[in-house]
Amino acid sequence: MILQVNDRILLQAAQDGDLDAFEALVRRHQAAVYRVAFRMLGSEVDAQDATQDTFVRAWRGLERFRRESAVSTWLYRIVTRRCLDVISARRPIEDLQIERDAGVDPADTAEQRERLRAVTRAIAGLPGEQRAALVLREFEGLSYDQLADVLNTSVPAVKGRIHRARLAVLKQTTAWR
Amino acid sequence: MTAEHEQLHCGVELEALVIQVTDSQPPVEPAHQNNCPYCQSALRGLRQGWGTVQSLTREPVPIPPRLTAQIMARVRTLARYVADSILLGHPRGETRISHTVLGQVIQRIACSVPGVVFASAKPIPHDPPEPARLSVAIRLVVAFGPAIETLTHTVRHVIDRRVPTLTGAQLSRIDITIEDIAELAD
Repeated sequence: MILQVNDRILLQAAQDGDLDAFEALVRRHQAAVYRVAFRMLGSEVDAQDATQDTFVRAWRGLERFRRESAVSTWLYRIVTRRCLDVISARRPIEDLQIERDAGVDPADTAEQRERLRAVTRAIAGLPGEQRAALVLREFEGLSYDQLADVLNTSVPAVKGRIHRARLAVLKQTTAWR
Repeated sequence: MTAEHEQLHCGVELEALVIQVTDSQPPVEPAHQNNCPYCQSALRGLRQGWGTVQSLTREPVPIPPRLTAQIMARVRTLARYVADSILLGHPRGETRISHTVLGQVIQRIACSVPGVVFASAKPIPHDPPEPARLSVAIRLVVAFGPAIETLTHTVRHVIDRRVPTLTGAQLSRIDITIEDIAELAD
């Protein structure tokens, strides 16, 4: 039954202290939050921690949520900030030591798996803000307006970050010369 | 030369070709590009590379099986610290029932009424507080069909009857807001 209820009502209920409503929001949004964390951090353990922290922060911040944006946008904002904190606390070498097959399907051919690993490594080598913009745009399909809202910046700044991220990833992973 | 201004041997900037491939833009100089082996070779590489990025975006990311439980365990712990409670006196000790638990009890009772699709309940303490007496604000999503006034009357009646039995709390007011109407699937 609770699956039919929209985010706005669940959120209002959660703001009133209803844990079941909050759990419904968790079930509805955890896949997207975890995906972003996993693609940004390249590690299942770190992504799980970041996802848990995201929802705990969301719970703590329920009173402050003013519903100007969608619940999904709000959660993307929290998880992105959390991941950027993790990335900035890592030493660069740690950041590149992502899990070897992070998000690569074993059913792919060996050649394709190697290409996918190369892209994953290239994404892990991006500066945090470029990585966030690329993951949210290419993996989650957010619009430039949504990205500007999540990343708290302007649309031109978002476009610049995505462009630089794409350029860096393609330069590293393709024989363009 | 910065990384963003690297050039092919023919002088075309790599950046222009990346924009062409990733944003599906037309070539800046189509006549040159059609006849330039450097541009053609770079475009083939970039298209394959961009195809790989797109493939990665489609790779499934399995959710860890206990993720919801782990999240909710932390949230429930947090909620227990902040919850208000009612106090039930007893000669051999006192019993406290948190507002979170009361809300869950009331929510479950409301959901047991046919025609209620979703319910949430927020206990509201009196001002000044009374140990076991409070009001409750209930939000409902109801099925389309039953008369709403009759439905809310039933919800109020059932809650008024069952909450004192189940929790010892006395309800002074039961305010109900209908938030939405849902079409029930067959």
